[in-house]
Amino acid sequence: MSLFSLTTVGETLRIAAPYACAAVAGVWAERAGVVQIGLEAILLSSAFASVVGTLASGSAVVGVCAGIIMGVCLSAAHATLVHRTRIDAVVCGIAWNLLAYSGTRLGLRALYDSASNSPSIAAFRIGPTGNEGWQVLARVLCDPLSWLAFTAVVASPYVLNRTRLGLRIRAVGENPTAARAAGIDVGRTRLLALCISGAIGSLGGIHLAFDQHRFEAGMSAGRGFIALAAVVLSGWLPGRAALACVAFAFLEALQFVLQDIGQASKAITLAQMLPYAAVLVALGLGVGRRSAPGGLGRHAEN
Amino acid sequence: MVVASAPRIELHGVSHRFGEFTAVRALDLVLEPGRIHAVIGENGAGKSTVLKLIAGLLRPSAGAVSIDGDVLAAGSPRAAMERGIGLVHQHFMLLEPFTALENVMLGAEPIRRNILGGMRFLDWIGALDFDAARAKAQALAADSGLDLDLDARVANLSVGEKQRLEILRILYRGARAILLDEPTAVLSPLEAAELYRTLRRLALRGHTIAVVTHRLDEVSRFADEVTAMRRGECVLREQLPPRHGRLDASAEASSQPEPEPSALILRLTRAVMGGDVPASAPKPPVAPGAAAVLELRDVSVRGVGTRRLDNVSLRVHTGEIVGIAGIEGNGQRELATALAGLLDIERGTILLDATSPFAGHNDAAARVRAARARGLITVLDDRHHDELLLDATVGDNLVVGDLGLADEALIQKRRFAIFAIEPRSPSRLASELSGGNQQKVVMARAFDRTRHSLDPSTNAAHQPRALVLDQPTRGVDVGTARILHDAIIGIAAAGAGVLVISADLNELRTLCHRIVVLREGGLVAELPPTASDEDIGRAMLGVADRSGREEAVA
Repeated sequence: MSLFSLTTVGETLRIAAPYACAAVAGVWAERAGVVQIGLEAILLSSAFASVVGTLASGSAVVGVCAGIIMGVCLSAAHATLVHRTRIDAVVCGIAWNLLAYSGTRLGLRALYDSASNSPSIAAFRIGPTGNEGWQVLARVLCDPLSWLAFTAVVASPYVLNRTRLGLRIRAVGENPTAARAAGIDVGRTRLLALCISGAIGSLGGIHLAFDQHRFEAGMSAGRGFIALAAVVLSGWLPGRAALACVAFAFLEALQFVLQDIGQASKAITLAQMLPYAAVLVALGLGVGRRSAPGGLGRHAEN
Repeated sequence: MVVASAPRIELHGVSHRFGEFTAVRALDLVLEPGRIHAVIGENGAGKSTVLKLIAGLLRPSAGAVSIDGDVLAAGSPRAAMERGIGLVHQHFMLLEPFTALENVMLGAEPIRRNILGGMRFLDWIGALDFDAARAKAQALAADSGLDLDLDARVANLSVGEKQRLEILRILYRGARAILLDEPTAVLSPLEAAELYRTLRRLALRGHTIAVVTHRLDEVSRFADEVTAMRRGECVLREQLPPRHGRLDASAEASSQPEPEPSALILRLTRAVMGGDVPASAPKPPVAPGAAAVLELRDVSVRGVGTRRLDNVSLRVHTGEIVGIAGIEGNGQRELATALAGLLDIERGTILLDATSPFAGHNDAAARVRAARARGLITVLDDRHHDELLLDATVGDNLVVGDLGLADEALIQKRRFAIFAIEPRSPSRLASELSGGNQQKVVMARAFDRTRHSLDPSTNAAHQPRALVLDQPTRGVDVGTARILHDAIIGIAAAGAGVLVISADLNELRTLCHRIVVLREGGLVAELPPTASDEDIGRAMLGVADRSGREEAVA
């Protein structure tokens, strides 16, 4: 199997989806000026909610809705807390991450009496089975969640740059004081942006759970933080952030290829480091070093 | 754009308190359409508060603001906006990375309707109609003479252009009453005159105009009526003779210094200061053959973007105050930051008492420290960004750089007293001080450099050898400016060399022994302090003067 086979393409897209959703979610939040390091919490809690929803109703669609609602609620709560109580958004985000880790574990124990994972779910199961390259790719391309994620990624730059909502979100993110002087309700605009952010981020979590056909404790495995790195790398541009995630996913997909080739285990371990090392190098080189939104983490003043 | 005619704004017994401090006390004020109304007063007199009360940004503690007889909902900026009131803030409320057009439309964005048709409930996510916004903005700009590139990023606009953008923005939102808070504080005299021409044009179209300003000469030249405030109360109200209001090109060109305006200025000054103004200290002449304290030899510096300083040579002698005039952005900031040690010098040398003040350091921080230790002290123009830690206390700001020293408290106390900073509490945050008092903090630090001195045993070591002051009194009230001016003259008389960069030509005339003009990064002319606005203005613009010569500066 070569490095650039249909399998690699399919695997790259499959792996990229949760990262890209989280990254685009991060862009939405931070362009509105709300620091969001709780992407991990969004992924994890919406993954859990989608599995609970699916298991409870027997319908994957209901599961998806449950996941999205979870993501939106969490994100909206973040916006409200930060705006109303002026809690430091970084601290608040850390709290969400810790809460999501422990909360989903508690949920697993309470609902399914397990410390590690939920019962398996059927998810969508569309497309061919098998491990041939075209089958892997076709499965990814048939997955409705992939399409939802893709739509979110493609629509984000348009909405942010070309619509009334987008202009207002960017305005409150750039300078909340000036935005308010222009008659814009900073709190409401940020809340709306965070709801959208939560919805997009939750797609990533749902994708994660449906991909594994179950919920596993801590299954987000740091993806929210990698996504955050992609946000910074991209210079807070949604399209570029998603592309950075695809590049990262490609490096991760290479591991599977290497495993298939059957290299020595040390080489595989090294290969597993590759994506993370690449992120550090890219951040260090300051790829696309653009300044953060001017009003990031700031409130409107008199 | 529902508002048909300009609103008549009335304040009845309006008071506003911040905690225990009464900013505005029982104020009555009427702003008539078609007139330029000036509100003057010192820093902290309550002028800005009045504008914010009218614009609904603040809620009156007592009394009411009414527009065309209807009482305005208190504390609602939206309601005020809908009644046609637009406020241009002292510190621009612009989104720097956005284009001018995006700034103009923000908050009142037109939406394309071809896809969603009449689904108005989806307007919040509707596609922006840049073409419609551009057409409307261009029509308004042409109508009111606001020349502006709508596609430029705000960060790349000059201060004057930003000011025009602010006005265009509120006109776009249908404002018929335009309130401006210190609009000329950051403008050159030419830009200020241009601004007032625009305001006059708007007034003639029936807009209501209110301008808060420190500059009394503007009042006499451009306003129709004036309200002077002191400690939150109206102390003087005067209708100005109509000829001051006429601002046709012809009237302005022939504006002679008349006896009446100066009498008016004196009256206004008395009103805002609450008594007679102490006469400015006379500036002693420079001793002939005085040694050069600060010298620049063919200095070239690269600044931000295309801005630079080219082959500048200049000498400041002991006891001398040299003024730098020029249109903003012609190398002033580069000159000041280079002298502070913040910029790398491309070519040429800077000398303090005939040796380099930077002690050969390549690192900016080390250069700054070395220059301070040698007594070359620079005060940059933007006190909020370059000089003050706004979220730190006044006390800490006074000794920043000397923190943790054994006699920190002593130094702090002494510096606090130099200019009698108000309120008298070092534990206040620097951001809570008025502009004038913030500048006092910055200047106190520059004037007393005890800790930087190499030889603390001599008294002279307390004083700077050379002072570089970029806009020392920008946005500062008359009284404070006078205090600072006296101190600058005093320190020069004591032997320091002073370089003053200022957009205020009157300031340069008061302070300086000679005025040099900076244009496009080079020194293009040297003029005596008696030179007229016109002569200095010509040199600033690069128009040859009457005799056709353009002197180079030695």
